[in-house]
Amino acid sequence: MEWLANFWATYSTLIYSIGVYALVALSIWLTLACGLLSLANAAFMGIGAYVSALLSLQAGWPFWAVLVAAGLAPAGVALIIGIPTLRLSGVYLAMATLAFGEVVRIIILNLEITGGPEGLNGIPQSTRGWHIVAILGLAVYGLARMRRSRTGRAFEAIREDEVAASLMGIDVKRHKLFAFVLGAVLAGVAGGLNAHATFFISPREYGFENAVDILTMVVFGGIGGLVGPMVGAGILTLLPELLRFLHEFRGIFNGLVLILVVLFLPKGIWEPRRIRALFGLGPKEG
Amino acid sequence: MSSLTKTLILAATLVTVSVQAADIKVGVAEALSGGAAQYGVPIRNGFQLAADEINAKGGINGNKIQLVIEDEQGKKEEAINVFKKLIFQDKVLMIFGPTLSNSMFAAGPVANASKTVAFGTSNTANGITDIGPYIFRNSVMESDVLPITVATAVKHYHIKKVAVMYGNDDAFTKSGYDVFKKVLADQNIPVTTTETYVKGDVDFKAQLTKIKAGNPDAIICSALAEEAANIMLQARSLGIKAPFIGGNGFNSPKLFEISKQAGDGTFVGSPWSNDNPSSANVNFVNAYKKKYNAEPNQFAAQGYDALYIAAAALKTVKLSGNLEADRQALRDALPKVTINGATGAFKFRPAVTKDGKPGGFDADQKPFIYILQNSKFNLFTGKN
Amino acid sequence: MLPQQLLNALTLGSVYALFALGFTLMFGVLGVINLSHGAVFMVGSYAALFFVNHFHLPLWLALLSAMAISGCLGLLIDVLILKPLRARNAPHLIPMIATIGVAITLSSAAQGIFGAEIMRFPEGTIPTGEFTFGDVHVRAIEIGIVAISLAVMAILFTALRRTQVGRALRAIAESPKSAALLGINVEGLFRATAFIAGALGGAAGVLIGLDFNAITPLMGQPILHKGIAVIILGGMGDIRGSLIAGLFLGFAEVMSKAYLSSQMGDAVAFGMLFLILLVRPSGLFGRVLERKA
Repeated sequence: MEWLANFWATYSTLIYSIGVYALVALSIWLTLACGLLSLANAAFMGIGAYVSALLSLQAGWPFWAVLVAAGLAPAGVALIIGIPTLRLSGVYLAMATLAFGEVVRIIILNLEITGGPEGLNGIPQSTRGWHIVAILGLAVYGLARMRRSRTGRAFEAIREDEVAASLMGIDVKRHKLFAFVLGAVLAGVAGGLNAHATFFISPREYGFENAVDILTMVVFGGIGGLVGPMVGAGILTLLPELLRFLHEFRGIFNGLVLILVVLFLPKGIWEPRRIRALFGLGPKEG
Repeated sequence: MSSLTKTLILAATLVTVSVQAADIKVGVAEALSGGAAQYGVPIRNGFQLAADEINAKGGINGNKIQLVIEDEQGKKEEAINVFKKLIFQDKVLMIFGPTLSNSMFAAGPVANASKTVAFGTSNTANGITDIGPYIFRNSVMESDVLPITVATAVKHYHIKKVAVMYGNDDAFTKSGYDVFKKVLADQNIPVTTTETYVKGDVDFKAQLTKIKAGNPDAIICSALAEEAANIMLQARSLGIKAPFIGGNGFNSPKLFEISKQAGDGTFVGSPWSNDNPSSANVNFVNAYKKKYNAEPNQFAAQGYDALYIAAAALKTVKLSGNLEADRQALRDALPKVTINGATGAFKFRPAVTKDGKPGGFDADQKPFIYILQNSKFNLFTGKN
Repeated sequence: MLPQQLLNALTLGSVYALFALGFTLMFGVLGVINLSHGAVFMVGSYAALFFVNHFHLPLWLALLSAMAISGCLGLLIDVLILKPLRARNAPHLIPMIATIGVAITLSSAAQGIFGAEIMRFPEGTIPTGEFTFGDVHVRAIEIGIVAISLAVMAILFTALRRTQVGRALRAIAESPKSAALLGINVEGLFRATAFIAGALGGAAGVLIGLDFNAITPLMGQPILHKGIAVIILGGMGDIRGSLIAGLFLGFAEVMSKAYLSSQMGDAVAFGMLFLILLVRPSGLFGRVLERKA
C-alpha cells in the first residue's frame, strides 16, 4: 500500500497531464471529423487556462464555475472568429488558425493582467483525479452518442465531400461552426483543469509548438475513432518520461517514432482491426 | 559524442557513490536538455564539483553526500514530475533547483507542501520565496544589484537620459526590465524610448535605429549574454556609441567573447566574478577548469556555493534516520548559515511576503560592480 | 531615421524571401507543407560552419558545400519519407506531420552533437566591410544577402518560365497525373525539386548565420513561422509572390517596430496573415491552387 501511495504521489501529475491532453486531443479530433484542419485549439486551451486562473485568483469563484467559464470563454471567441474563418479550406484554414493562435499568445504576453511572460502563479490546486476522469468520460460518452446521431452522419458527409453534403440538404456552415465551437469548449475546459493542477501557467505553453504537438497526438493515435486520439495523447505524454535514460538524445528518438508511425501505420497506432488480427481474432465487420 | 561519455561517467560515479552506507541523499533538479540547458549544465557541474570536494574530505560528520540528479528540461510539468520523484521515490533530504524561475513557481509548492526544502540557485524572479517557508535561494535578486549598477554608471558617464531594451517574452529578462524601470524612476533618469525583442530574434536593427534617433547617453539592456552581445555588435555597426548597462544576464564570458570591443565600457553588477581574488573563489575557478576543461560562470559558482551552504547546515544537524524529522531539522538549520564562498560572503535574509505570511529565505549579498574593458570584466574602482 | 529603417526592412525582407523560396517551391511542385525546411536551414548553417572550422574552406566554397549537404538532405527526406506517402496517396496532413518528425529529429541531433549554445563563424570569415552614407550604415554582408536573394529568385523565375524543365514543373504543379500522362518524368522532377529546395534552404541558413552570426539548433523555428506567413501571403507555390510577400513582411515588421511599438512586431506578421486570409482566402498575390489529384 505504501508503494502505491508513493507511486501516486510521484506520478499523479503525469497521469493528470495524460487526461488533460486526451481531452484536448478529442477536441481536435472533433474538428477533423468534420473535415476541418484547425490549429487554434492550443490557443483555446490557453484562453480557458487564463480565464479560469484569473477568475480563481482575482474573483475567487468556486472551481465548478471557473471550469464552466473556461469552456464558455473560448467558445465565444471561436464563434466570433469561426464565422469568417471557416470559409477557408484545407491548408489555408490551418494557417489562418495558426496565425490566430500566435496573435492570442502575443496578446497574453503583452497584457498586464496575465502577468506577461512571467505568467500567473499561485493558482489553487483544485483539480482532482476524479474531475478529469468524469469530464473525460462525459466527453467520450457525448461524442460517441453524437457520432451515431444525425449530426455525426452530417459531419462524415461533409468530410467526405462538402459539395455533395450541401446538395443533400446539410447546412455545411452551421455544422462546421458547431464542431469548431464545441472543440473550443473541450480545449478550454482542458486548459482550466491543467491550470488548476500545476500552480502556474505562462504564455509559452500555448504557442505554435503546442498546437502542432496536439495535432501530432491525434494523427499518431489514429483519427478513425475516439480511442485513437486518447491513446496518442497518452503515449506521446509518457514517451519523454519513458525515454529519460536516453538523456539529450531522446528528442531524436521522439522524432523518429513519429516518422515511423506516419510511414508504417497510416491509420495511427490504434487500429482495432490490426490489433484484433494481432491476437488471432481475425477481421470483423463494423 | 563527448556528452554521452560524460553521462556514462556520471552514471558510473553515481553507482559507486551509492554503495556507501551512510549517504545523505540530495536531489538536484536542473534543465539538462532543451533551451535552458545552457544554465542547467554549469549549475550541475558546480554541484558535482562541490560534492566531490566535500566527499574527498570525508563528507559531513562522516556521511557522504549523494547527489540524485534529474533533468527537468526547463518545463514546468517536468519540474513538478521530477520534484515528486525526488521527494516521494528517492526520498531525498532536500532538493536543489529547478533552473528557471517559472519552473520554481510550478514545482516549489510541491516541495513546500511536503515540508521539504527547495533551494534555487538561479531563480531571480520576484515572489519566488513567497511560495512558502521551505523555499530558499542563494541567487541574488536583481532589485539588490541594479540600483547600485545604475548609480555607479550614471556617476561615471554623467548620464542624463537613457534608452531601454529588453526581451519581453522571457520571465528572466522581463523581470530584470521591471526592476530597471523602477530604478530609473527612483533615480529620476528620463528614458528616450523603450524597445523590446523576443526569444530567437537575431535582427535588432529596427529597434536600435529608433534608439539611435533619441541620442541617449547609455543603453540599459535586460538580455541574456549572447543576445546582448549581438545587440552590441549591431548597435556599433549602426554608429551608436553610447555605453551599455546590463543586468544579471550579462554575467557570462560569452558577452565579451562575442562582442569583442563592441562591449567596451559596459557596466554590470554581479554576485560573482572570475577575477575575485578571494581564496575560496580562486580554488573554485581552478578546480572547475581542471575538472571540466571549461571556464566556470556565475551559475556554476552559485551551484557550488549552494552545496557548501547546505553542507554547513548539515554539520549542525544530528540526522535521526526519520526522514520527516531530518528534513525539518535541515530546514531549521539553514537560515543560520553564513559562509565565505566563491561568490563572497553569504548569509540568508527572511523574505517578506505580500500577505504577511512567513515566506522563504533570499540571499543577502553585496554585488560587485564591473566595467568591461579590452574584452575583460574589470572590478570598477572609480579610477578605471 | 527613415532611410536607415528602409534599408533594415530591405535586408530583413530579403532574408524572409530567401528562406521562403525553397519552402514555396516544395509546396508548388510537391504539394507538401514541408515543416522540416527550418531544420534543413539550420543544417546548412552548421555544415558551412563545420567546413570553415575543420577544412578551412573559403567562404564561397563552404557555402556551396553546405548547399550540397542540405540539398542531399532534402533529397533524402523526399526519397525516404515523402515518396512512400505519395505512393499510398496520403492526405496532405500526413506528409506535414512526417516533416514535423524530421524537424524534431534534426534539431535534437544538432543539439546532441553541437550542444545548445550559440555557435559562430570564426573571426575573419565574415566580410567586415562597412559603408556609410550620411547617417545610413550598411554592411557588405547585408548587400550580399540582398543581391544573392534577388539573383537566386531571378534565376529560378526565368528557369521556370523559359526552360523545358520549368514548363514540366509548372505542368506538375497543375496536376501531377496529367503531367505523367504527357510523358514527363514526374518522380525525377520531384527529386530534383526536393534537392533544389533543400539547397536553397541551406544557402539561406548560411547567409543568415553569417549576417546575424548566431547558429543554434533551434534557429530554424522562428524563421519557419515567418516563412509560413510569407508563402501564404504570396500565394502558395508562387515564386514571384514569395519575393513580394517576403519584402512586404519585412517592411511591415520594421515599420511597425519603428513607428508603433516593438512589442507588436510578431503580432503584426500574424495578425496581417489572419486578416488577409479572411479577405483573400488564397493569399495576397495567389490564385487558389486546388490540386486536381
